[in-house]
Amino acid sequence: MKHQDLAIKFYKEKGKKHDKALWAIRQKRDKAIKGVKEWEILRREASEIKDYVIENLKELIDEFIKNAKNEGVEVYFAKDAKEHNEIVLKLLKEINAKKIVKSKSMLTEECSLNEFLEKNEINVIDTDLGERIVQLRGEKPSHIVLPAIHTTKEDVAKILNETNTDPTYLTRKMRALLRKEFLSADAGISGANFLVANKGYAVVCTNEGNADLGAILPPLHIISVGIEKIIPNMKDLGLFLRMLARNATGQAITTYSTIFGKKDNGKRIIILVDNGRFERLNTKFKETLKCIRCSACLTTCPVFRRSGGHSYRYIIPGPIGSLLAPLKDKNEYNDLPFACTLCGSCEMVCPVKIPFSKQLREMRKYVTNENIMVKIAEKSMHSATMFKLFSKIIRLTPKPILEKTLNQWSQYRALPAIPKERFIK
Amino acid sequence: MKTALFVPCYINELYPDVARDTAILLRNLGVNLEIPINQTCCSQPFLNSGYESSLPDNFNEIFEKYDYIISPSSSCTATIREAEIKSSNKTFELVEFLHDILQLRNLLKNHPPIILHNSCHSLRALLEGSPSELNIPYFNKIKNVIGCRILEAKRDECCGFGGIFSVKEGFLSYIMGKSKLEDLLNEDNLKEIKTTPIITGVDMSCLMHLESVAKKENIKAKFKHISSLLLEGIQ
Repeated sequence: MKHQDLAIKFYKEKGKKHDKALWAIRQKRDKAIKGVKEWEILRREASEIKDYVIENLKELIDEFIKNAKNEGVEVYFAKDAKEHNEIVLKLLKEINAKKIVKSKSMLTEECSLNEFLEKNEINVIDTDLGERIVQLRGEKPSHIVLPAIHTTKEDVAKILNETNTDPTYLTRKMRALLRKEFLSADAGISGANFLVANKGYAVVCTNEGNADLGAILPPLHIISVGIEKIIPNMKDLGLFLRMLARNATGQAITTYSTIFGKKDNGKRIIILVDNGRFERLNTKFKETLKCIRCSACLTTCPVFRRSGGHSYRYIIPGPIGSLLAPLKDKNEYNDLPFACTLCGSCEMVCPVKIPFSKQLREMRKYVTNENIMVKIAEKSMHSATMFKLFSKIIRLTPKPILEKTLNQWSQYRALPAIPKERFIK
Repeated sequence: MKTALFVPCYINELYPDVARDTAILLRNLGVNLEIPINQTCCSQPFLNSGYESSLPDNFNEIFEKYDYIISPSSSCTATIREAEIKSSNKTFELVEFLHDILQLRNLLKNHPPIILHNSCHSLRALLEGSPSELNIPYFNKIKNVIGCRILEAKRDECCGFGGIFSVKEGFLSYIMGKSKLEDLLNEDNLKEIKTTPIITGVDMSCLMHLESVAKKENIKAKFKHISSLLLEGIQ
């Protein structure tokens, strides 16, 4: 099913509540960013830093690898998802790991790491509350920061075999269950929000501290991260930490923002993953590499709020997903750049100023095949005579035929009446 | 000052009254306005549907000789401006022209309260007002030009028209239109209105969509393009 059908299904079931919940978060975000009077200046700076990063990516990666190694962290480079998953498996096999605790990482989702490890008989426990909920439901996250935003407290009670639907009760129950997993895991895997090139540090932001438990308790901590997460230095980190949580959820900062260097009680390994990113640098879509995954574009999107994340069918949904998914599979996701009114709200909330409207229009071109009929129509629309002819044909076409042609409109609304005369005749 | 009216193609076809009101309004305000008759479409429908378009040459040929090109539509204006052609920076949306170039204010000072729908392109592409996403001081050029009590929606989100979107995702388009109407006609706004509410805006395309949804939902409201409203006020 494509976006338009999945949207109808989701909206009828949960759309109103979903929209309301996400709009409340958008309002919290607005309040938080309006508390920073230099916000628009920060956006400009963040955008410039990220422009610098994508122009100097290779050099920054080399700098990062050198400094991380000096710091006492092992670094691997994986060219694609397959290579990444194999490196992880090799590392886990070396210590004979049977169970790993994972904290939120969109990259491991992008690589389908969970499925790969389960196939190799390694038990993966997602430890972010929302991610654990969707894992137990056998689903994928529907939002990159709020993975279970599409579920209700009743849904959560059901997967825990509980009749009590009190959110605090359910959270405590989940916390107790997860604590046991943390204490018995052989390794922890997490993503990273930022990599600081001049220090070799990886920075992980969570609200539940689950990444920290997974990083500290087991003897091995693997960080899987996309290469575009690199930033030049600690000063830049300060800027991005001020923006990330405010823009995502309206918090001043994430509850836990941990800077990881060498691991004192074992090994820390960072896997830098390319998976098509270097290639993207040479395309019209290189600006998508500026994304810091704050998720504000999802939360604000009037379509996303009503259609839910799963209607995008890609691990990163919403406006940014509509730019990333077709790059992975042009045919499967050719509907996504059109699941958008080009309202521009995503562009306005984006902390790194990705020009969403332009990029989405470009992506529409990318997924659309050239069509000779359209070419003829386009040419004739630029001739007043041809346009006039076209206008006459429309006026002579019986209403039922127009209604049938514009079925997606007329199914839900009346077609506007066509006046007899045009203005410029 | 040599000025041309750029009539969006859908207005020429479906809302000739809006084009006429815009022309009369501008002439009544003393603007020396020409209406080039060989003009056509700004190409937005093609550009937004994933096709290349040869807009620039065509548009420049017709409009280059004018000092200002005025169009009663923020989305067509935005298309021309984003095309970065010679005529881009002299193309203005109607209210933008009245506000920034003619510096007019309070044209409808004594009018009873009006409901204003802020179109996305007006707000987020042309910045005719302050979008809620940005941390910038509040302003709204349309309000300044009208001057009477203006009521807005609580959320400045999209009405769901979106051109090609309205025929690709008919259901969501309709649902968004419905929620925009509910917001525009919210309780607080209705408290201030004695008769049938008038909903206005700078884009007839949003209003066309909202009016179609209103008809379907039996919602009582009048939809009037800003040019018709302003013309009534100055006559």
